[in-house]
Amino acid sequence: MNSFWNVTLALLEGFGSTCLIFAATLVFAIPLGLLVTFGSMSRFRPLKWLMRTIVWVVRGTPLMLQLIAIFYGPALLFGIDGFDRVPAVIVAFVINYACYFSEIYRAGIEGVPRGQAEAGQTLGLKKSQVFFHITLIQLIKRIVPPMSNEIITLVKDTSLARIISVTEIILVAQEYTRQGLIWPLFYTGVFYLLFVGVLTLLFRHTEKKLEYIKI
Amino acid sequence: MEFLHVEGFRKQFAGTEVLKGIDFDLPKGKILAIIGPSGGGKTTLLRCLNFLETPDEGKVFLDGELLSDAKVSYSQRERREKQLKFGLVFQNFELFPHLTAIKNILLAPDLLARDRVKEQFKERRQSVKGFSARKALKKEEKRSFKELTAENKRHAEELLRQVGLSEKRDSYPSQLSGGQQQRVAIARALALSPEVLCFDEPTSALDPELTGEVLKVIRALKGRTLIIVTHEMAFAREVADYVLFMTDGVIEERGTPDEVFLHPQKEKTKAFLKHMEEYHDE
Ligand SMILES: Nc1ncnc2c1ncn2[C@@H]1O[C@H](COP(=O)(O)OP(=O)(O)OP(=O)(O)O)[C@@H](O)[C@H]1O
Ligand SMILES: [Mg+2]
Repeated sequence: MNSFWNVTLALLEGFGSTCLIFAATLVFAIPLGLLVTFGSMSRFRPLKWLMRTIVWVVRGTPLMLQLIAIFYGPALLFGIDGFDRVPAVIVAFVINYACYFSEIYRAGIEGVPRGQAEAGQTLGLKKSQVFFHITLIQLIKRIVPPMSNEIITLVKDTSLARIISVTEIILVAQEYTRQGLIWPLFYTGVFYLLFVGVLTLLFRHTEKKLEYIKI
Repeated sequence: MEFLHVEGFRKQFAGTEVLKGIDFDLPKGKILAIIGPSGGGKTTLLRCLNFLETPDEGKVFLDGELLSDAKVSYSQRERREKQLKFGLVFQNFELFPHLTAIKNILLAPDLLARDRVKEQFKERRQSVKGFSARKALKKEEKRSFKELTAENKRHAEELLRQVGLSEKRDSYPSQLSGGQQQRVAIARALALSPEVLCFDEPTSALDPELTGEVLKVIRALKGRTLIIVTHEMAFAREVADYVLFMTDGVIEERGTPDEVFLHPQKEKTKAFLKHMEEYHDE
């Protein structure tokens, strides 16, 4: 029975995977991106160039390709068992998004006037104190708009997971399409819209909270 | 040797020598004004004194003791201790935009208090055994931190009053005029009680009608050891005990304000003062 209710339940289950990929990507990519930023801004040249090359490769190739490479790569290249499907998706997404985030962070850090860090330094602050008490909050303020954009893109990018047969919401809907039922596919749009709607409200709230900082 | 003694400062940027051997002395509680044309190295000198730049050569002595030597590399901790001997007020204020006036002043003293208390209790914590003793020690640590921050707060409020901004205590920098921002920046630098406070053209980013209030605050600091880089010749003449004329990375002329302003010996000094006068008349 493909009643509206049954379809909704099935799609919700697929949407669970979507949310899992989304959440796991954010949880890991947000801090990893910061490490990539520090690497690509490092004064140690080899590290800097390594990081910049990685960012270039990751941003320069389709995420779909990266997914396939990470899922099939280990077996094809070394004949070893690679990741399971869901972990492979998460690894690929985390690496991909960490690189995008790192560039946003970098622009944000470079945007905080150097003079302020120097003022902190003359006041006897340690480097870590300058970062956590002066730079970080201004960095956050600067990156909220571009990060919102990336994060909203991530919501929709999760649908790429179906390439390696992870049953996220679109894949579930395509199952129905194969059975001749087309509307569930369009119905998935509602899920995405609601999700993005909630995120948009959240971002707007954050921006409001940071409005007191004039930079 | 005077209270502050700077010896043989040299600094190159990409092959061009910006400081070509700077030596000077400043007695405690006196005010030194540094004047000179743009690009002469005045800012670089202040930055070297404040450890924002490491000179290629040179030593600083404070109170008869060697404070820093360009040839020695210091750990972050040593550097921090030395840095605190000097304060710097920037041309563009450099207030922290996310903090109110009072919190701008308090940030550094409170962080310093936290580090010092932690350090103080570190050894004792290692020697103390037993749950309740440890807990009591933790309580004591918390209390001494609280005492220090309360003291910092009183001091900060007093400083705000000194610069005439008590009622702007909870305003953000964006809500203050340039002159008010610079006065907060001065209070912020004073909060750490530096031995020597440096000013890098403290009024040059301000509208003319706002310079007066900042100069008034600086004037009231008489009795502290100050180094003021300024284009305000009248002000330099009025407040300074000594004047340095710096150009092309060297101290071209030095003396009391009367000597330098009324009886300059060097052609370059005369030309500069004449130029400043004409500029002023415009
Ligand atoms: N970080 C740097 N890298 C390269 N050159 C620098 C750097 N900082 C300063 N300089 C150069 O050093 C010279 C002296 O600069 P400095 O800012 O010390 O002069 P100043 O006397 O403060 O001038 P002004 O009156 O314009 O502020 C200038 O020619 C400047 O271009
Ligand atoms: Mg300068």
